[in-house]
Amino acid sequence: MAKQLGAFVVGDSDKCTGCKACELACFTVHNQKSNGVGRTVGTVSVPVMPRLFLVKGETFSVPVQCKHCEDAPCLNACTKKAISRVDNQVIIDEKKCMGCKDCMMACPFGVIMLAQVYDRGKVLRQTTGEAVKGAFKCDLCAGREAGPACVEVCPHQALRYVDPVEERKEKMRRAAETLAITKTL
Amino acid sequence: MNAFVKGNPDLCMGCRTCMVACVVSHTGRHIFELDPDDYTFNPKLHMVKTRAISVPVQCKHCENPACMAACPQKCIHMEDGTVFIDTENCIGCKACMEACPVGAIDMAPVSGVYQPDGKERYVANKCDLCREQSGGPACIRVCPTEALKLVSYEEIADTAQERRLAAAKANADGSLGAAAQAK
Amino acid sequence: MTMGVQEIEDAGLILNFGYNGADSHPIVQRRIIRARQKGAKIICVDPRVIESARIADIHLQLKGGTNLALVNALCNVIYTEGLMDEKFIREKTTDFDEFVEVIKKYTPEDVSPICRISPEDIRKAARLYATTKPAMILYGMGVCQFGQAVDVVKTLADMALMTGNFGKPATGIGPVRGQNNVQGACDMGALPNNYPGYQSITDDAVREKFEKAWGVPLSNKVGLPLTHVPRRVLRPEDPSKQIHAYYIFGEDPAQTDPDINEVREALEKCDLVILQDIFMNRAGQYADVVLPSTSWGEHEGVYSCCDRGFQRFHKMIEPPEGVKVDWQIISEISTAMGYPMHYNNTQEIWDEMRRLCPSFAGATYEKLEATGGVQWPCRSEDMSDKGTVYLHKGKFSNPDGKGRFYATDWRPPQELTDTEYPLILNTGREVGHYSARTMTGNCRLLRSLEDEPGWVQINPEDCLEYGLEHGDLVRLESRRGWCLSRVSCTDRTSPGAVFMTYQWWIGACNMLTNPNLDPVSNTPEYKYCSVRIECIEDQAWAENYVVTEYRRLRESMGIDVSGEEAAVQ
Repeated sequence: MAKQLGAFVVGDSDKCTGCKACELACFTVHNQKSNGVGRTVGTVSVPVMPRLFLVKGETFSVPVQCKHCEDAPCLNACTKKAISRVDNQVIIDEKKCMGCKDCMMACPFGVIMLAQVYDRGKVLRQTTGEAVKGAFKCDLCAGREAGPACVEVCPHQALRYVDPVEERKEKMRRAAETLAITKTL
Repeated sequence: MNAFVKGNPDLCMGCRTCMVACVVSHTGRHIFELDPDDYTFNPKLHMVKTRAISVPVQCKHCENPACMAACPQKCIHMEDGTVFIDTENCIGCKACMEACPVGAIDMAPVSGVYQPDGKERYVANKCDLCREQSGGPACIRVCPTEALKLVSYEEIADTAQERRLAAAKANADGSLGAAAQAK
Repeated sequence: MTMGVQEIEDAGLILNFGYNGADSHPIVQRRIIRARQKGAKIICVDPRVIESARIADIHLQLKGGTNLALVNALCNVIYTEGLMDEKFIREKTTDFDEFVEVIKKYTPEDVSPICRISPEDIRKAARLYATTKPAMILYGMGVCQFGQAVDVVKTLADMALMTGNFGKPATGIGPVRGQNNVQGACDMGALPNNYPGYQSITDDAVREKFEKAWGVPLSNKVGLPLTHVPRRVLRPEDPSKQIHAYYIFGEDPAQTDPDINEVREALEKCDLVILQDIFMNRAGQYADVVLPSTSWGEHEGVYSCCDRGFQRFHKMIEPPEGVKVDWQIISEISTAMGYPMHYNNTQEIWDEMRRLCPSFAGATYEKLEATGGVQWPCRSEDMSDKGTVYLHKGKFSNPDGKGRFYATDWRPPQELTDTEYPLILNTGREVGHYSARTMTGNCRLLRSLEDEPGWVQINPEDCLEYGLEHGDLVRLESRRGWCLSRVSCTDRTSPGAVFMTYQWWIGACNMLTNPNLDPVSNTPEYKYCSVRIECIEDQAWAENYVVTEYRRLRESMGIDVSGEEAAVQ
C-alpha cells in the first residue's frame, strides 16, 4: 500500500550530548556529490551548512529538523511552487527557489534556512554576479540507501527515524494490551 | 480531572460500530441524513486486533498531555475535562502524533481542502469525547456489547480505595489466622 | 436451532463449533458474550482465532477439514471415560451400540495428528463439555460448508444425546443460519424437497392437501438444488432436462456460488435470466430482465429467526414509484403465466400458509404482534400457545419418540494441498458487509471501513516465506481461477492456511473455491480448497487495476461513477 504519511527524524534531549556529529554528517552527505566533501581530509571548501540544527539551551541540547508536515505551511506559502511532496516527504527544489524567504517565515519550527548555493566548491552566481541563495531543509537524505545520516552517526542513539503510521500501530497495540490488564475496572 | 472512554477486550467483538458512530457523530447529523459525498471518514478511535485482543483504542485525556506540550501551533487545548484539537491552525506536523504514547492521534484528510500541490489537507485527529454533541460519546451509546464506558477519576479512586480496604482486610485476616494457628 | 437464541445467555457451557458469531451475527454474539459474563464456559472449535476463540476457556484450533475426526474423538473420550448420561441414553435413544463401534476407533492419540490438536486438549474439551450443565452446541458454516457436513451435524447431535443435553432449557444443538431469514425461506418451502412447514413433496397425503388448496396438480418429484444448476445448464446428462431459464431473486450466484467462472458461464448460456433485487449485482450483469423490488424498510411481513422464531416487521418508508414488493411481483408473474394469483395483503398469504402447515398454524399475526414473536411449533391459535422455545422436550420427533445415534468415518476434503497449490483456502464473512454485499457495498460508511479488493489473511510465517508485507496486493490462484487480494498479515490464521471473505467483486474468492458438494445437503465445500499465492512485482499497476476494474464493473451496471475518485496513475 502507498505510504500514508511523511516520515521524519526526531531528537531525544535525554540522550543528546550536543556533539554535533549529526550536523557534520548531514553537511557531508549533502555536499558529497556537488562539492566533493568527505572523500578525504581537507575536502571542505564550502561553509558547513547542515540541514538540521543542534540547539543548546541552558539545561538541554537537542537537534531540531523538519517534521515534513501534512499541511506544510512552507509548501502552502511558496509562490514559486518550489516545495512539493515527493513520496509523501516535503522536498525543496533548490533550482526553483527564488530566495523569497516566505517558507522560512512560515515554518513554525524554524528549520528552513537560506544560504549561498555552492557547486563544485564554488559559489553559484547570478548573471549579475550576485551569489545565488536558496532555501535548505532536511530531505531525510533522499536517495540514501541507509536512510538519514544523522540517525546513523549519532553516538548516543539520540536521533530516531519516525514512520508515524507504523509507530502508531505499535503504540496502539501496547495500549490495547494495557486495556486487557485494566479491564476489571 | 479528565474522564476518558475505555474499552474492555473481554466484551468487545471487534465490530467497529464505534468507529462508524464516531464519524457520524462528528458530522453533527443523523446517519440517515448524511450526504454520502460530503463528510470525511475520520474515526477518532481505532480498532486494534491482535491474536488475543480486540478493542478500540482512543485518547486517555491525560492530565499532563504530551500532545498539548508538543504542539508548535498551540492548537491542542484542555477544557472542561477534555483534551481536544482545534484543527483550524493545525499544520499536520505530526508532533502530537509522535508525542502521544497510546497512538490515539492520527492525521485525517479535511474533505475538499487541498494544498497547492493537489494533496488533501491533513490535520491531527483524536477523540474529543463528542464535546460538541449532546448525549455524550457516541461510541459508548452504540456499542452492542457495552464494551465501552466513560471512566472518571472518582471511579478509579473509589475502586482503589475499595482495593486498599480489601488488601488491608486480607492482611488482618491473615494475621488473625496466623494468631489462631499459633494458639 | 433446537434452542431459543435468548437461551444462549443461560447456558452453562457453549460449544462454539465452526461458528463465527462476531462476524456473521453480532446480535447473537452479544448473547455469547453475556453468557460468558454470567460465568458460562466456552469451548471454541475453529481453525482461526476468531472473536469467540479469544474469550474461550479452550480453543481447539484444528486443521481445516478435520471436523468429523475431532467430533468422533470428543465422543470417544466421553464414552471411554464414562461421562455419558446413561439413563438418558437408555430411555430416550436407540442405536447407541452401533455408534460406539465407530467412535471407539477415534482415540485422541490417533486423531491428534489429523487435527493438529494435542490429545490432552481433546480430553480437556470433552470432559468440560460432558460435565458442565446445561451445555449447548452452536455451529455454523464451518460445519456445513464441507463435502462432509451432514455427518458432522449428526455427530454433534450424538454428543448432545450421549450427555442428555436435549429437551431441557439452554441445551441442544443450534445451527446459527447463514443469512437473515434463510430459516424463513426454508420454513416457507423454498427447498427442492419440501412444501412449506417441512412437509415432504413425496408424501402423497401432503401433496393432495396442497393440490386441493391451490387447485392444480403438483409434481411428486424432488426438485433440483441450487448448486446443481450450472451443471444442468452446461452439461445436462439428459438434454431434454437442460435448464434454459433462471429466475434469481435476493441472491447473487455469480458472486456467492463456488467456482463462479462456471456459474457465470452457465448464466451466459441460459436463454433467459431474470433478476429480482434492490440493487444491481454480478448476476444482474447476465440478466435479460431486471425486476426492481422493495427493500426491507419498504415492505412488511414476517421473518423467521434461526431459532424458529416468527417476527413481524413493518414498513418504514414508501418505495420509489413503480417499485413493487416481492409477493406482488410473484403474483403478477404467476397470473401472466396462466395461474391467477391474487392477494390483498401479506396477512392473506400468511393465513393461507398457516392453514396448510400444522406446526405453524397457531402463529397468527395477532399473536405475533401481541407477543413480539412466536417460535414454531405453535399449533393452536389460542393465545395460551406461545410456541416452543426449545425442541424435543420429553420425546424426539422420530416415530418411536427416540433420538437415534448415528456415526460414520471421517473423510478428508476433496482437494488437498500439494506442491503446486500448497495453501488451504478457507472462506467466510466479515462484519460490516452483509452476505453478497449487494446492499452494504452501496453504503459509503461501511465501504470506508473495508473496501475492494478485500483482504486475504496470511500467517506472518507464510508472509515471511513469500516476502509479503501487510497491505501488499497479491494474486491468488486455484485450479479453477484467480483473483487479486490484499495481504493481511495476522497470526489469527495458522501457517499454511489463508482466509478470505466472499463478498468482494475484485477479490472474489469464489473464483477459487471448489464446487464439491455434501452428498445430502448439496452445500459446497467453501471452507476448503487448495490455492497458491503469486507476488505482484508492480504494486502500482495492481493498485490501479483494483480501482479501474471496480469502476468498470460499476459502470457496466449502469451506476454513475463520475463523482468518484479516478484511478491514480
